[in-house]
Amino acid sequence: MKMHRFIPNPTPCGRTRREFLWQAGGGFAGLALIDLLTQSGVFAGRALAADASLTSPTAPKTPHFRAKAKRAVFLFMNGGPSQVDTFDPKPALTQWHGKPYGGDAKVGSNGRAIGHLMRSPFEFRRHGQSGLEISSLFPHTARFADDLCVIRSMHTDTAAHASGCLQMNSGSVFIGKPALGAWLSYGLGTSNQNLPSFVVMTDPRGGPIGSASNWSAGYMPAAYQGTLFRSAGVPLLELATPSGTTDQSQRHSLDLLRQLNEEHLATRAHESELAARIESYELAFRMQTDALDVVDLSRESAATREMYGLNDKLTADFGRKCLITRRLLERGVRTIQLYSGGGHIEDTWDGHNDCIQNHKLHAGETDRPIAALMTDLKRLGMWDETLLIWGGEFGRTPTSEGVDKPGRDHDWHGFSMWLAGAGVRGGQAIGATDEFGFRAVDEPVHVSDLHATILHLMGLDHHRLTYFHSGLNQRLTGVVEQSVVTKALA
Amino acid sequence: MHPDDRERYFRPTPGFVVIAACGWRGFLLATVWFCLGDSSVLQSSPPDYRRDIKPILEKRCYSCHGRLKQKADLRLDAGFLVLKGGKDGPAAIPGDSRASKLIQRITASDEAERMPTEGKPLSSEQITLIRDWIDAGAKFPTDEIPPSSPAEHWAFQPLRRPSIPRVKDAEWCRNGVDRFILARLEARGWKPAPDASRPAWIRRAYLDLVGLPPSPEAVDAFVGSNRGREEILNQLLADPRYGERWARHWLDLVRYADSNGYERDAAKPFVWRYRDYVVNALNSDKGFDRFVIEQIAGDELTDRSAETVIATGVLRLGQWDDEPADPAADRYDQLDDVVSTTSQVFLGLTLGCARCHDHKFEPLSTRDYYSMVAVFNPLKRPQNGRTELVLPAGSFAELEAVQRRDREIERLKLAKNDPQVTELRQATPDLPMGYFLQEPSSKPPETRVLLRGNPLRPGDKVVPAVPAIAARRQPDFPEPASGTSRRRLGLAQWIVQPDNPLTARVLVNRVWQQHFGIGLVRTPSDFGLMGEPPTHPELLDWLADWFIHEGSWSLKKLHRLILSSRSWEMSRQANSEYIAADPENRLLSFAPYRRLEVEAIRDSILSVSGQLNQEMSGPSMFPTIPAAALEANTDKDTIWKASGASASSRRTLYAFIKRGLVVPLLEVMDLSDTVQSCARRLNTTVAPQALTLFNGEFVNQQAAYLAQRLRREAGPDPVRQIHLGYRLALGRPAHPSELTALRAFLQQESAANGRRDGDPDFAALVQLSRVLFNLNEFVYPE
Repeated sequence: MKMHRFIPNPTPCGRTRREFLWQAGGGFAGLALIDLLTQSGVFAGRALAADASLTSPTAPKTPHFRAKAKRAVFLFMNGGPSQVDTFDPKPALTQWHGKPYGGDAKVGSNGRAIGHLMRSPFEFRRHGQSGLEISSLFPHTARFADDLCVIRSMHTDTAAHASGCLQMNSGSVFIGKPALGAWLSYGLGTSNQNLPSFVVMTDPRGGPIGSASNWSAGYMPAAYQGTLFRSAGVPLLELATPSGTTDQSQRHSLDLLRQLNEEHLATRAHESELAARIESYELAFRMQTDALDVVDLSRESAATREMYGLNDKLTADFGRKCLITRRLLERGVRTIQLYSGGGHIEDTWDGHNDCIQNHKLHAGETDRPIAALMTDLKRLGMWDETLLIWGGEFGRTPTSEGVDKPGRDHDWHGFSMWLAGAGVRGGQAIGATDEFGFRAVDEPVHVSDLHATILHLMGLDHHRLTYFHSGLNQRLTGVVEQSVVTKALA
Repeated sequence: MHPDDRERYFRPTPGFVVIAACGWRGFLLATVWFCLGDSSVLQSSPPDYRRDIKPILEKRCYSCHGRLKQKADLRLDAGFLVLKGGKDGPAAIPGDSRASKLIQRITASDEAERMPTEGKPLSSEQITLIRDWIDAGAKFPTDEIPPSSPAEHWAFQPLRRPSIPRVKDAEWCRNGVDRFILARLEARGWKPAPDASRPAWIRRAYLDLVGLPPSPEAVDAFVGSNRGREEILNQLLADPRYGERWARHWLDLVRYADSNGYERDAAKPFVWRYRDYVVNALNSDKGFDRFVIEQIAGDELTDRSAETVIATGVLRLGQWDDEPADPAADRYDQLDDVVSTTSQVFLGLTLGCARCHDHKFEPLSTRDYYSMVAVFNPLKRPQNGRTELVLPAGSFAELEAVQRRDREIERLKLAKNDPQVTELRQATPDLPMGYFLQEPSSKPPETRVLLRGNPLRPGDKVVPAVPAIAARRQPDFPEPASGTSRRRLGLAQWIVQPDNPLTARVLVNRVWQQHFGIGLVRTPSDFGLMGEPPTHPELLDWLADWFIHEGSWSLKKLHRLILSSRSWEMSRQANSEYIAADPENRLLSFAPYRRLEVEAIRDSILSVSGQLNQEMSGPSMFPTIPAAALEANTDKDTIWKASGASASSRRTLYAFIKRGLVVPLLEVMDLSDTVQSCARRLNTTVAPQALTLFNGEFVNQQAAYLAQRLRREAGPDPVRQIHLGYRLALGRPAHPSELTALRAFLQQESAANGRRDGDPDFAALVQLSRVLFNLNEFVYPE
């Protein structure tokens, strides 16, 4: 229908009418219940069947404009990777190593001790035809130098992990706002009806600070929120048949429930909510099969397992997540977010004490699996439809934290991230930080500019992607004018 | 013409108007209409005002030249107003675009001249459309009427008691409520749905008022007798579980949570005393006017007490960042939380949108916003760095007495456990500690408008004031006294003045919404221009006026009035002809189904299984969270220490609400937003709910308890077990067809489980119990 785009949130006035969509449609796993019910004839002859407005909140939607990227993978380096050790080489640091910093950038966070300028121990080399400079932390990713679009001039508003993660995920330092993945679910829906549209996989050491508020749907219906997916065992909460119940009993009980509920419905035929609820149990049962199939890697070849690093303890966990990511992408999941690092300080990229060992560990865990994912996406012809985003909530200071200690503190004035894949112009570095790498000085890119760019790459105009709440048309990019980083576009 | 009707006809934009006035069906019709409009216009015809011109003006010009503002005395929100123009003369001269000011200003090369001043210039296509329209004579429909002035908006009009309408079927009506409902149905030639059965009515009354199902004995006593409904209502309203049920509705509105959110998400110490205050206030039927005053200004009252001071905890319920990146901005964020919540909850106004600029859609200015900030600005948060402090709550005399006592103990220099000390402490006991903000002095700080909401750009100084649109004249704010500015007292007294046009309307609508599932105004916290007009405007006003004058602000009286109506007693049987004509049931021709909130579902399960722990009040408990759901947390091993079985079997009201980690069962079943005011629960139907209620540990445990109970109370006979299960869960015995199905199920399951160890009959009964908790009828009461 012509006006379809506007249905999810047409106007301030229309919003309560849409509630029926949520009531009837639900939406986890892109559940188009009404479509489903209509297909299966549940609505045949009922007054509501004709109402075209009854679609699921996560039913696929047309983007604002044609875009290559259909799906997004956010590789979230939790804790904040150091720009001068990864993608932003600073020869001046070598020259001034061990000297106190005399510039005017505000150094350090939260009253932590300020040390001296500290060179990176990791060698930067030019890679690919583009000659993009990448440090020795990422030998595997470096093979894709011509595909990476590094933004060296990122900056954000906060020096704390919780608010930094929230800002990177939802554009706001406050909890209660929808995450990027939720906006993509809202704006684009999903093509797979049996899996969540927005999947999150966290680190075995724990989640990011603020945990679920980082993938929340905020003020939008829960149908759009990120769903935690475990890479081993039972992937979704309460998916398993309860202990003590046989599969046969489970099926008997579901059949009984259905029978009783349908008898109840028979005299209440106009109540689509009741019909939808009956169907939700069947869908739940089907999800058991589909979700379990995603994490069943038994049919992946030995070569694939080796490529993702599943045979090496260091890379096995993140490798498994990257492989599952590919399997989720193949099944049409819209947004997947992977966390590297969890818990506190050195268990994340938060290298306060020893940034060097810290980054060796976390880069070591992730570099090979990420390169494997890129290889696989290219091999399977999915590269041109998938957008990859790499980075953390902020960067780290070019100074050491305290004297003679190889730690680095938080730096939110300048840091690096990269984009790759669908619609991205690779083999380039955009913007620059100052001589030492403290602060973005050339072509600064705020987190919200990055969000505008990601939405653009996914075919959404960040001005037009709005959701009416609390008297205001809310946007991911907020009320301050943001701009798409056009240089990043292919 | 009623103001409400005027609203309908005079909405500013065609697409939106139709949606607001006619709902979904109207929206679809409007779409069709637009499409027809498109196809019937020939390519060469001049631009059409309504189709081509008005949308441009609306989007780019109305915010300064429309209903809310008329810069340079110019309005552009109706064709004749465009011709009429403003201070500089007509904006358009028909047939002469070159001479038209409108064209001159939108095409000006000088940026200072060019309109609109904000955003990009109009596109050349848009300019061409407007130019062609003017050159073709600037035609517009003659029946176009500009939107009325915001001051005429229905919600800002004084409350007058409408007369009760005449109806044909006066027999059907029990009270005034019924006459208003029936009159609208009769106008269509419709009849209300038949009454709900007596078993359905009593179950509905229990779940609505106390949030728990009636016992089989209570159902029998009512169904098998002529016992009046009035008697049941009185009994339930006197039941302390009423306060527990209805407190949760209030807690949704005031964004109650037990923790601060943000990085450390620490517990709010003693915040549960505020929750208990709400329960007690409802149970004692505290007048709503007093309830408002105590929460906003309980510390500024001459008769202040521990209770009234704890009530002001509502102002400290927001999120709190113990390590803000920008302390100045953080201070205004905290004030914003209080101003936004207060104006939405009590007044139904979205004042929070006026923080950075005048509200785009409502007659609310930044001056209105910062004048409200000035009311709350004297409040300070007791804290020591990152640690929050709590204070004793009491009257000034009580606080002084405790201080005197402590000075005395200090003077005596005795050991802590000395009998004399014990005696002194017994004579003057400690006061309860409470979680509230405090005004450290009666000298309020200066408050200024912040330009673009930026603390670094202070503008004009403001004094405390209420939103101008809602007040005929500004109230007199009292002088500072007893250590506080008494600004909040001034605000609170104005809110509950009987001539405040908003307070009572907003409140009775909230109560109506809880009883019927949907309000008379379907945007319960937005009574402004962008909110929906009431479906029954006269009924709303009549209820509001009744509530103030006859009900004396008593919520229990209001409940009794609504629940004893015939309208509330209607069954859920819908007439298919009526649904086709009124798919949203705006005329209330039947009682709509609605799913119970998660609290009522979980509490009902505990009640039916016999495990409900009815202990009231006190610190919150921690229900079990599946280990798998803790994995994604930073401190996954320590973040959540579940309470024991008995404590976690208390009512869901007492479950600890941690902003960063909401109990999955509650979250998946649409718990309210824990961060902002929630005026109405979302109601989603998604597969994870089925997983939670069918596979989750909680339901499976309770199913086992129910199976034990069925055996204990009904004995070994499966027929008696089934009937008891139905009576406990649904308030009725099983129908014959259900009985047949369930008996067959028990046999089949027992036989299947017989090969395994244990007690196959019991295992089958557990399965049956689990099915009962998952029935549609269990969560969608008749």
